[in-house]
Amino acid sequence: MSGGPSQQLLSELASRPGGNSWADKLIRWVFISLSVMFLAALLISPLMIVLTSAFAKGASIYLKSFVDEDTFAAIRLTLTIALIVVPLNTLFGIAAAWAIAKFEFRGKSILITAIDLPIAVSPVISGLIYILLFGSQGWFGLWLQAHDISVIFALPGMLLATMFVTFPYVARELIPLMQQLGNDEEEAAITMGAGGLMTFIRVTLPKIRWGLIYGMILTNARAMGEFGAVSVVSGHIRGLTNTMPLHIEILYNEYNYVGAFAVASLLMVLAIITLLIKTVIEWRGLRG
Amino acid sequence: MPDPLSVLTSMSITLDQITKRYQNTPVVNDVSLEVGDGEFFVLLGASGSGKSTLLRAIAGLTGVDHGRISLHGRDVTQVSPRKREVGFVFQNYALFKHMSVADNIEFALRVRGVKSAERRARRQELLKLVALEGMDDRLPTQLSGGQQQRVAVARALAHKPQVLLMDEPFGALDAKIREELRRTIREVQRELKISTILVTHDQEEAFALADRIGVMNLGRLLEVGRPEELYARPATRFVATFLGAANLLLARQTAQGIRVGATPVTTSLDKLDQRAELRREHEVVAMLRPEEIALAEHRDSLNSIYLGAGKVETIGFTGAFERLRVRMLEADKATLSADADEDNLAILDVTRTQHEQRLLPLTVGQSVAVGVRRIHVLPTPLSSYSVYATTAVAVETLKQHPLLVDLATRMKTRIITHVEPHLGQVVPTKSQAPLAGVAVIAAGSNAVTQLEWLLQRGTCEVLILPEQYVPITRVLIHWTGEEVRRATLSVAASVLRHVPAEATYLNILPETESEASKPAGMRELLDARSEAQAVHGLEMRTELHYGDTVPLLQRELSQQNSHMLILGVIDHADVKQRFDALLQQSANCPVLLVFRADDSSSVGKRV
Repeated sequence: MSGGPSQQLLSELASRPGGNSWADKLIRWVFISLSVMFLAALLISPLMIVLTSAFAKGASIYLKSFVDEDTFAAIRLTLTIALIVVPLNTLFGIAAAWAIAKFEFRGKSILITAIDLPIAVSPVISGLIYILLFGSQGWFGLWLQAHDISVIFALPGMLLATMFVTFPYVARELIPLMQQLGNDEEEAAITMGAGGLMTFIRVTLPKIRWGLIYGMILTNARAMGEFGAVSVVSGHIRGLTNTMPLHIEILYNEYNYVGAFAVASLLMVLAIITLLIKTVIEWRGLRG
Repeated sequence: MPDPLSVLTSMSITLDQITKRYQNTPVVNDVSLEVGDGEFFVLLGASGSGKSTLLRAIAGLTGVDHGRISLHGRDVTQVSPRKREVGFVFQNYALFKHMSVADNIEFALRVRGVKSAERRARRQELLKLVALEGMDDRLPTQLSGGQQQRVAVARALAHKPQVLLMDEPFGALDAKIREELRRTIREVQRELKISTILVTHDQEEAFALADRIGVMNLGRLLEVGRPEELYARPATRFVATFLGAANLLLARQTAQGIRVGATPVTTSLDKLDQRAELRREHEVVAMLRPEEIALAEHRDSLNSIYLGAGKVETIGFTGAFERLRVRMLEADKATLSADADEDNLAILDVTRTQHEQRLLPLTVGQSVAVGVRRIHVLPTPLSSYSVYATTAVAVETLKQHPLLVDLATRMKTRIITHVEPHLGQVVPTKSQAPLAGVAVIAAGSNAVTQLEWLLQRGTCEVLILPEQYVPITRVLIHWTGEEVRRATLSVAASVLRHVPAEATYLNILPETESEASKPAGMRELLDARSEAQAVHGLEMRTELHYGDTVPLLQRELSQQNSHMLILGVIDHADVKQRFDALLQQSANCPVLLVFRADDSSSVGKRV
């Protein structure tokens, strides 16, 4: 998953005759500056605003805004959700990708479409689905009430909504990879006497690990940052069902800009940490 | 025949009537094969011939629809691939890219829980065997293609499998490395004496490696034999042209010997088939290898048998040899080859050594005398096709029939057309020259009278084609008497080599004697099957039925119109009296009638 074409290909492109004309240089310059300008306008400037607003009243105020029980609870809840959702969706994603890449069965195309569904459906609607199913007026609402199980406005509902929204990422990443890598190595392992589980752990998993890690990182990022679907099912109960993105909204609506942007910057730091982990793993992977 | 028991014990791979279908089309069609202990067997065929599927079936990576697979006497048809104890080498190496060479080779041993010291010893031994010592810690990506495939071979051998299977192992390598690796593999195989099947499309590779070669086409295993045997005396057109280049000519076999065109060619060139039925004059397919053709300036300076005059069309240089194409100058309908042009002039492929080139330098357009040193007559009974109809339009339509076109192109032979306005009307005198090849007529109400007309003129095989055509999936074989068995089987084998269909022999006994005649009927089935297999290399199913022949055949044919009937008949009268109804009514299925007059006694007297 390390990005971009190889050094070899780039140097070959650069060595092509006529590559040093002024038109070529101009085109290169235009493309590079366009990319940088887009990044600056759409990505870097908002991030800078987040940071400057967070530190607008000094570092001590910034740090103080974390010393708040509700904020703490929101951070804890977000991490809990991510910790549960990422492994589960990794498992489901592998299973779905395996089924699609290795077997022929009826309704395969329906399964592929179904995996893509969460990307196509608006997150708010994915939250509403669970309200309709498990809410007090929903299909299972009465039964759940009778058994004293709370799904909506509680952790289970938020987990369900987050899982729904993040389901496609691992599977989407793995399906083309598995189809492209083929079956030869697994078949070789089987002819050498390896069983199904051993073949999977020793042969398939190492083969797909970059795609898998990438899918997991995407899942994690979305799980921590999801707003729409979680917002519908959470009920915004401070200290109980508020995740970080929801908490940021509440703080913002209360005109607590420093607090809002401080939590936002923390969310940003978490994202950067995920990216760092990915880079480190990739780098070590490349070194052998 | 060797003792069957001793054969069983020394065979390490036995395939019995393996069939594998994809969407009802057989990709591996009734293949039976025995590979001996320590033998290096090469399966040769074009892509799509079913050879890789067969190899994967032996390893258990593909299931089979029919048949049995035994490895060293153990029936493994239902055994999972991980328990078959085979080594498999893939075309694209299939090395575990994240593991070092050492880990790759030790994988099978690790699976079996072998201790680390023992694993290391075995690994060293294997690396030495494939000449890769000291490469233990490399990753596959750090090795060249040839080295990677060596690792793959070592890895496949690590668990001491009983059988080594290789699927185009040199396919992704360049010529030089290919040759080197080929030598290594041959040495390793000799040293370990492991039974090996290698799949390839490269005939040169097959010749270099094989103890025996099996040639596959359209899912069938056509011929099996030692390389030099198959090259010199192929039995089928496909093998003749697939193993090296071959010129196929239509010749006539007479009591005196072979005649190519107007030129008599003596019989001493190759052993002739002396069976009674072949002694009458008939058309045969003669194979001339390009290197067996001699060129000279004049007929007199030719010290081989003179074929005719020719003109050099093209000359090409290929290093050790010179390749020429020579157009024969005498237009003779009897000397047609697949390569003939519109004027029916045969074009011959000729190769000459450097020495021959120096003796007689040739230029394009030069006239030469063409001679031949050795002719091999293919034992196939189907030489060419002659289409008969009453009008020119009907002849043309019939000539375009998909089944006929398929057969003719696959057999690399010609379709000759005859417009006979009186077809089936005037009874001709018997003195006319015998007709050549298989006669083809259209099905319909006139078919039977036309058929009689042809039989009286001495035709032996008549193909009756229906207007509607569905690709054939099943060929039914039946004959009315033992006298025509051999001829029918040989025709059926020839047809089935060129049609991807399954074959079934129907033996039909009268209903009244069902119990008493059952053993005899079964014996006939077994005899027929073993003869088909031994003499014609044809694998077929057998079915025993009780009842009246004609209604039974009709019923079988009407089940599906993708069936074809090959019917052997001895008695002239039979055609009109018994099969009249069958030929009229089963007009949806192609029927190939094989007729042999019951004249074995008279031939015996004459000779």
